[in-house]
Amino acid sequence: MTSIGANIPRKEAPNKVTGRARYTRDLYRPGTLYALIVPAHIAHARLLAVDTREARALAGVKAVLTGADAPFLTGDVIEDHPPLARDKVRYWGEPVALVVARDMATAQQAAALVHCTYDPLPVVNSIEDALRADAPLVHEAVGSYTIATPPASPRPHSNIADEANVTKGDSDGALKASDVIVQVHVSLPQIDHAAMEPRVATAEILADGRVLIETSSQAPFEVQKLVAQYFQLDPGQVTVSVPLVGGAFGGKASVQLEVLAYLASHAVGGRVVTLANPREVDMESSPVGLGLEADVTLGATQEGRLTAAILRFYLDVGAYADSAPRIARAIAAQCTGPYRIDHVHADVYAVYTNHTYTTAFRGFGHMPMTFAIERAMDELAQRLSIDPLDLRQRNALRPGDRTPTKARLTPSNLGSLSETIERLKPLIGWNGGEPYPVAPHRIRAQGVAAFWKTSSSPPNATSGAIVTMNADGSVNLSIGAVEFGSGAKTTAAQILAEALRIPVSRVFIHEAVNTDTDPEHWKTVASLSTYMVGRAVLDAAQDVVRQLKSLAAVVLRCAPEDLDYGNETVFVRDDPSIKLTYADLALGYQYPEGDSIGGQIIGRGRFMIRHLNLLDQETGHGRPGPAWTVGVQAVEIEYDDLTHQYRLLKAATVLDAGHVINPAIAHGQVRGGMAMGLGIASREAVRYGPQGEFLTNQFRSYKVLRLGEQPDAYLVEFVTNPQVDAPFGARPLGEHGVLAIGAALANALSRATNMSINQLPITPELIWQQRRNAP
Amino acid sequence: MKTLTGPTHIQLTINGEPRDVFIEPHYTLLDLLRHPLVGLTGAKPGCENGDCGACTVLLNQKPVKSCMMFAVDAEGKTVLTVEGLVDTPVQRAFLKHFAFQCGYCTSGFLLVAHALLHEIPHPDRHQITEWLRSNICRCTSYEEILAAVHEASES
Amino acid sequence: MIPWPVHYYRPDQWADALDLYQQLTRAGRSPRYYLGGTEIITMARTDSQPVSDLIDLKGIPEIMAHGQDGDWLYWGAGLSLARVAELDAWPVLTATADRVADHTSREQITLGGNCLSIMPYKEALVPFMLPDRVMIEVATSQGLMTVPLHDRFDGSWHLAPGEFLLSLRVLKEEARSLVFRSYKMTRLDWVDYPLVTVVVVRDPDGQIRAGFSGWGPHPLVSSQVNALLSDRSATPAARAAAAIAAMPTPALDDLHASRAYRTFVTQHTLALIIRELEE
Ligand SMILES: Cc1cc2nc3c(=O)[nH]c(=O)nc-3n(C[C@H](O)[C@H](O)[C@H](O)COP(=O)(O)OP(=O)(O)OC[C@H]3O[C@@H](n4cnc5c(N)ncnc54)[C@H](O)[C@@H]3O)c2cc1C
Ligand code: FES
Ligand code: FES
Repeated sequence: MTSIGANIPRKEAPNKVTGRARYTRDLYRPGTLYALIVPAHIAHARLLAVDTREARALAGVKAVLTGADAPFLTGDVIEDHPPLARDKVRYWGEPVALVVARDMATAQQAAALVHCTYDPLPVVNSIEDALRADAPLVHEAVGSYTIATPPASPRPHSNIADEANVTKGDSDGALKASDVIVQVHVSLPQIDHAAMEPRVATAEILADGRVLIETSSQAPFEVQKLVAQYFQLDPGQVTVSVPLVGGAFGGKASVQLEVLAYLASHAVGGRVVTLANPREVDMESSPVGLGLEADVTLGATQEGRLTAAILRFYLDVGAYADSAPRIARAIAAQCTGPYRIDHVHADVYAVYTNHTYTTAFRGFGHMPMTFAIERAMDELAQRLSIDPLDLRQRNALRPGDRTPTKARLTPSNLGSLSETIERLKPLIGWNGGEPYPVAPHRIRAQGVAAFWKTSSSPPNATSGAIVTMNADGSVNLSIGAVEFGSGAKTTAAQILAEALRIPVSRVFIHEAVNTDTDPEHWKTVASLSTYMVGRAVLDAAQDVVRQLKSLAAVVLRCAPEDLDYGNETVFVRDDPSIKLTYADLALGYQYPEGDSIGGQIIGRGRFMIRHLNLLDQETGHGRPGPAWTVGVQAVEIEYDDLTHQYRLLKAATVLDAGHVINPAIAHGQVRGGMAMGLGIASREAVRYGPQGEFLTNQFRSYKVLRLGEQPDAYLVEFVTNPQVDAPFGARPLGEHGVLAIGAALANALSRATNMSINQLPITPELIWQQRRNAP
Repeated sequence: MKTLTGPTHIQLTINGEPRDVFIEPHYTLLDLLRHPLVGLTGAKPGCENGDCGACTVLLNQKPVKSCMMFAVDAEGKTVLTVEGLVDTPVQRAFLKHFAFQCGYCTSGFLLVAHALLHEIPHPDRHQITEWLRSNICRCTSYEEILAAVHEASES
Repeated sequence: MIPWPVHYYRPDQWADALDLYQQLTRAGRSPRYYLGGTEIITMARTDSQPVSDLIDLKGIPEIMAHGQDGDWLYWGAGLSLARVAELDAWPVLTATADRVADHTSREQITLGGNCLSIMPYKEALVPFMLPDRVMIEVATSQGLMTVPLHDRFDGSWHLAPGEFLLSLRVLKEEARSLVFRSYKMTRLDWVDYPLVTVVVVRDPDGQIRAGFSGWGPHPLVSSQVNALLSDRSATPAARAAAAIAAMPTPALDDLHASRAYRTFVTQHTLALIIRELEE
């Protein structure tokens, strides 16, 4: 093996250090017009009128669109979302109009000239507001929307967009019989993806009816499908291309700007229109990550064996449902964390508020869910005076156990949490979790938290790969996965190189995705590319090998079974001197006499996840993903009990990676996730004013981690229990660094401060406030 | 007195090449560089508010956020963008240490690091941090970037 | 991207700048002076109020100058904060200026632009609010005037339309005699607006003076607060508490910190500084 397990540089790396890497906004098309969203600056109101006359009158303005120009509803699961506000505004930042102008400056001027008349409505500014009996409704029609992708269960005349439940065993009974019960309420704000590249989409409608969309999307095939559906086009008419993407984190899996860009182009006779979000609009108008209020009740025996869990999760999904129903089910399916609990009941509610709508965020709901469980686990450990890592070890899910949705766990689909826990101890220098003073007013403490996650993908997710061979025997690989930094393309190239027994340098892969020429890949989300694309690539590689062998068999006058391959040759197994090179076969074989047979070697591969099902609406039972990735994380901090400031000393992750295809990229992904998780836990929050004003729409107010604020050391190790159905046994790991690190931080700080810190972000002010309020 | 009341030309040196470029008075340096007539898209708009550093270029060898200055302020000066970096120690170190994922922040970080090493050939960790925290990277943990700059500073 | 077409002028002499300002105003336009442009540009992007004319003051030699003039140290308003820190002529100014924004932005933000920023912070101005003798040079229709800072700044600036700041000056002797601490406290991040920046100097007589940025809508110094802080009969903690109680305005309550927490942090920081200065 040469390619697998090697630190192969990203294919596009040289372009990224020379400014030659091209992102959507870098691609200029002559004749481009510029569109801009006009955001509402009110959170909840009847939209009485949108006066566009002044804006239209401005020289250079080509069109101004309002809700009336987009008389349909969008939505991935529930169709509840007008592309431009119609009748009502439901969040601060909601697009009320779209201006199209000959240049960006004119568009900006025109945007300021659109005047809206509102009749303000009471604002649903929190989950608590939303659940009040007399709560104003964010959606009056909540019960009657079309469910585009079941399941979803909106509750009529309420702010409940959806609910998902899971029941296993008799949780009430088991709880009563428990020796100890802990209850924890956690509260997490919405957060922003804050990819460095703001979202952008370009659309053009050609005279022949073809639609060209270029976008910074994680889901080009979804864009194609939905644009075709909303505008009654044949999907084949719609070409979506995605160049390199400047960070995504789930925030670019939702389809929004593409629909608006299409509308804009349509309004100006099909000309090229670019819609690029300024940062402020990207934060307030485009979707953010959900907020959470959760109640966790855990029952356990005196020995620390978990016996029962009753869980209630309320998701602040904001004004529109988007993927919330999928996220709610993902949370329900993994609601216990990676622990064996035989008696479980979980209710997950997706709650509409007058906040910015939300979509997937790295971890697909598992990060906030994990925070809730892992805080409760630490409370339990404290109550029982058990080492928190031991408590997790005692309850770790093992092969043979069943998940809350009764999916059966095997060594292959689970890996070993137990092993990761043992590995974490020496890695972080685990001291049992007891805080200890290091100087006057300075306390050090460690906190741990464990996670598990599966894909929660739709059961029909599919992926393809096409390999074409060049005259010299090198190959081109075409896949549908987007490159937003996770190394998806490079990993696929490594897998192909390995399967064809050629160096990675002989695999050419273009960094862009184009729905015309690249085979479908469901969405580049859920850390699934290695698994799904990888399997498709392996399938395609087999096809290539089969074609090489069958052609070579004719030329070499033997059976294909007699042939083996390697070193870019196909040779007779028992006499390798009888051989042909890949180059001899690549475009068909030409006999010395000149006549030729065969044709280009074109490998075709595909993969569909098998054995998944939609969770049963009554019991929640089902199989939510092909396999889980498990792991454990730890944080060591030093807390100053005078100022309530703290320093991050160490952050550690051990996860079961199955097999690591590219260690440098894998470590980078996990460390990057940890950095993001620590940032989220310590400082990030979307904040709203008393009337639902979106207050944090710049990096001046939405603070993310900068250099200098990271822990002194990031420690990452992998254990490697293969997932046997995955390429080379590799498990997904792209999202996972983020999942439990915030909980580990909260656990460390809860120990250091001797308080229960169940809120994020944990700023010194939060600790100070909580200390002040403590009895 | 210099007066610009409409589109005009200014002279400056971009990546070593003396240029006579067309600007409008309200163009930022970032607008100018990314304009199709100049076509240097290595500097990225990340916030256009001075916060993220993705648009950083060097002006007379000092890092500046090009979204936050007028193009006309670069008149007569030398501008270095990422496209002007050719096989520098910093670039090599970024490649070696996998110091980027999506790459959107990379040009900014490279230029800050390049300027730092020009001004302080062997910076200590504190100096590296102080210069580089002008920029945001959402993908990496910064560890790889630190390691890369550290290594480049030793070469 | 600035949405509004603007006219740009770069006069070479202060008198030309003044004339130009008057002319443009008479013509019904709305000129603005600018130096670093960081605030003008970032705000214009989201402002619906167009700026029509920008008068770049960086072409005026005096505004870019610095050095010593007799007993005075002076800094032109057009020096970048990075340059001010590099000159390091007055350590308390260096320390304070060097904590504004971030390293790259300080190459662009100017001393004058920071002092005249419409943001509440104006951190680089705080050190100048502390010595007895601080003068500023202002370009006015009556010519260049050198006046005490407090004549023109008492929380708000009092510059007549068209007047602009050329330089700031402190007595070298006095500046050098002050022992100081300058602590910027933020919500959490190193690069952030101040939750509060506390700049404290102690003169050779042991008298303490404190300036605050971030506490209120503008930087402030209070003689009453200074008197309480200087009362050596009380412990540093007691002095800090008394000073906080005597602050002329209550602390801001905003996104960065609640009023109560801002008060806590300021008090803690003051006590810490007094202890350090008197150790
Ligand atoms: C990323 C970032 C972070 C920041 N963080 C901080 C911080 O931590 N602390 C802080 O204090 N500030 C901070 N600021 C804000 C900063 O205060 C202003 O952007 C900056 O001070 C403006 O300086 P400038 O030289 O660019 O001024 P300009 O934008 O040129 O001008 C600012 C204002 O001053 C006026 N003006 C300029 N020169 C003169 C003059 N000579 N006479 C009269 N009026 C004049 C202008 O008309 C304008 O109204 C930050 C800014 C950025 C971009
Ligand atoms: S784009 Fe210039 S600093 Fe962000
Ligand atoms: S690599 Fe993506 S933001 Fe830095």
